[in-house]
Amino acid sequence: MSEHTHLQLACGIELAVLHLPQRRAEALDIRVLAGLADEPADRLGLARLVEQTLDKGTQQHDGRGLSDAFDEIGAMTSSWSGREMTGFSGLVLPEFFPRCVELHAEFLRTPTFPADACDVAVELGRQELLTLNDDAQGLCDKFINRQALGPILGRHAAGERETLDAVTRDDLVNFWQKHYGAGRMIVSAAGPLEPQAVAECIERAFAGFGPATQSNRDPRPIEFDAVATHHDKPTEQEQIAIALRGVPVNHDDRPAERLLLGVLGGGMSARLFTEVREKQGLAYWVGAWSENPRGSGLLMVGAATTPQRCQQTYATLLRELERVATDVTDEEVSRALAGFLVRAAVRGDQTRTRCSEQSDDIIHFGRPVPMEEKLDRLRAVTVEQVRDFAARYIAQAPRSVVTLGPEPLTA
Amino acid sequence: MSARFFNHELANGLRIVVERMDDVRSSAAGFLCRTGSRDETPDVAGVSHFLEHMCFKGTAHRSATDINIDFDRIGGQPNAFTSHDRTFYYSVTRAADLDKQIDILADMMRSVLPPDEFAMEKKVVLEEIAQSNDRIEHVAFDVLIEELFKGHPLGWPVLGYERTIDPLTRDQMHAYFQSRYAPDNMVLVAAGAVDPDELVALAEKHCDQWQPGASPSRRTVPTLHSGRVTRRLERFNQQVIALTYPAPSGISPLHETGEALAIILGGNNSRFFWAIEQEGLCPHAAAYRLDFSDCGLLILLAQCDPDKAEAVETAMRTEAKRIMTDSVTPAEIQRVRNKRRTSLAVEGESPYHRLVQVMDDVDYRGQPRTVEQRLAAVDAVGRESLAEYFASFPIDGEGLFVSVGPRAA
Repeated sequence: MSEHTHLQLACGIELAVLHLPQRRAEALDIRVLAGLADEPADRLGLARLVEQTLDKGTQQHDGRGLSDAFDEIGAMTSSWSGREMTGFSGLVLPEFFPRCVELHAEFLRTPTFPADACDVAVELGRQELLTLNDDAQGLCDKFINRQALGPILGRHAAGERETLDAVTRDDLVNFWQKHYGAGRMIVSAAGPLEPQAVAECIERAFAGFGPATQSNRDPRPIEFDAVATHHDKPTEQEQIAIALRGVPVNHDDRPAERLLLGVLGGGMSARLFTEVREKQGLAYWVGAWSENPRGSGLLMVGAATTPQRCQQTYATLLRELERVATDVTDEEVSRALAGFLVRAAVRGDQTRTRCSEQSDDIIHFGRPVPMEEKLDRLRAVTVEQVRDFAARYIAQAPRSVVTLGPEPLTA
Repeated sequence: MSARFFNHELANGLRIVVERMDDVRSSAAGFLCRTGSRDETPDVAGVSHFLEHMCFKGTAHRSATDINIDFDRIGGQPNAFTSHDRTFYYSVTRAADLDKQIDILADMMRSVLPPDEFAMEKKVVLEEIAQSNDRIEHVAFDVLIEELFKGHPLGWPVLGYERTIDPLTRDQMHAYFQSRYAPDNMVLVAAGAVDPDELVALAEKHCDQWQPGASPSRRTVPTLHSGRVTRRLERFNQQVIALTYPAPSGISPLHETGEALAIILGGNNSRFFWAIEQEGLCPHAAAYRLDFSDCGLLILLAQCDPDKAEAVETAMRTEAKRIMTDSVTPAEIQRVRNKRRTSLAVEGESPYHRLVQVMDDVDYRGQPRTVEQRLAAVDAVGRESLAEYFASFPIDGEGLFVSVGPRAA
């Protein structure tokens, strides 16, 4: 029997429950399918302001009272704003799970958006932009995402100074009214839970919260811009980011892409670490990763190095991207696979991580995917498939490049 | 010690501590070396951290590439960190690969410090220093530590300085390595799906020939300085301000009270959160503890718009004074207990988290603590222990105030 239960609730919520009988804590993960891509173009930053203001006052509690109520059950809570969704999570001891659901439902359904809390959120948003401007790697990520994902999916949660200045309380209320509702929610739970009891608890908490009809689930296309740009900044290191088109998480080629990412940047013997850091001492940080909105994907590589070594580092990154299609070995693919298997075992020991992965599976596959099924797909990949993927998607593919630091690349 | 824990010592002084965890599939293991930047002399500041890098660079049996490949073959997820008073090398892997994991980690502890790798890795460390210099919070922390511990080995950054790393020789590193990485100054720690008998057998196989003879520790208790320090750095946009007070050490009976105080003052749903962040003064205001075996710090820290730095400092000082006079409420204390109860339960699921906790307990307290013992310490926090804390470690004085960013003063 699968350890996952997948249900469509009458209220409109898509629910998945992962039964982990031996665990000491229970995790709740709520995804509202409303994010940065849903912001009006002249109100960038709005989705995060809503996320940060929802719990600052409800019909039952003021902000402090609600925080105290979460603390009374010892809940470890967090929230985040993503390009296509907003996430809220809680982790509690088993006896407090129903209360944790109730409190989440309270602020998601009945926020009052107190005027002073809205003003504070906007002011703090302005100051967060200063923080971002002091974060060279974060800024580089912002620029490469905008360039490679496009003006909609490439938005940054912090917004822009001029759009934040325009945000009013009415904007927050309108965004919440328009985009928050059970039909736009995916809920995941994990731990020593009985699925039917969880379903009843969630249904009770969210029944009547907006239309039950599912909406806002269609993928948006990325708008990939194959250009190279430089952003001047008086830092000691130069940041380099290179993006290429990849595949969606549910694509047949995705397992080969994951192993290729492992070969490039997955472990200490990975190519980028070996060629950039170990053999030439060019960087402390170098890596490869993917970005995956629903229905699309990007492959990314990046490094940070001092300006006099930037050109050499960039050339090394390009060389490795080009040669991987021709000479990746069975041994390298095996090592990349071993890394995934161990990371899966480590993640499998963490209730909160399993819960969050279950939500991701619903987003990308439309159902929870058992861990063994995912690992079997990786195990089935051959070295030829990895080479073929690299040849088709990487070797001669258009690139989007961002550098940030004191000096631009010379070529 | 509870049956959950297993303790053993080899003839050469290498101690072995294991926490056996049910219902997990992974195992975490690591070597603790009781040495860090406070054990360095000023001319080699940063050698502990650089040495940590070099331990991945080659042994009598493995080249740097071999180490990397051997770890990756078992998906070993190796890593290491260096602090002011310890260096820890660890990896997390499937329980079935414990033998290979210990083989590689133990081999690394007998690095041959290959000269060609030394020159190459020096470049990497210098890049790491440059990366740290681009982060205002790192720069501010370095200024804080330097001023607070002025003239004491705790006062220099763990990474060292470009001026000490650049001229550092392999011979200097080798001398430090020989004096600090002896088995009687090290502990092998493991947590997760680990058979203690198997671990002892592996330690005997791989570590039995290590020769004891660590140099005696020269650590001295530091004097903490107070005052006001401004470091103007116009390349940054925001201001980091930090107000630091002496606090109980990591082994003090008041340690958990200090943890609770930091949470009440500057954690989530804390006094800082409502009086500073939610008043719109700054987006990040928090209270942290930094522990050593012989002293501790309470650091009140904020990142803010430079124009609001004075207001944020005033608000932090006001809240610090208020918590001493306007006593902490039973409800605040209970909320800390509730949160700690959940976090300890969650950490108890993860071999990696338990590995780090056990390592910390063994290093500072001599013995690991169970989750139940940790909870009992949390439950013992109350208004009485807070009063005792404030009597010994008041937070209404000048403290050390550090301001880093574009403001002139």
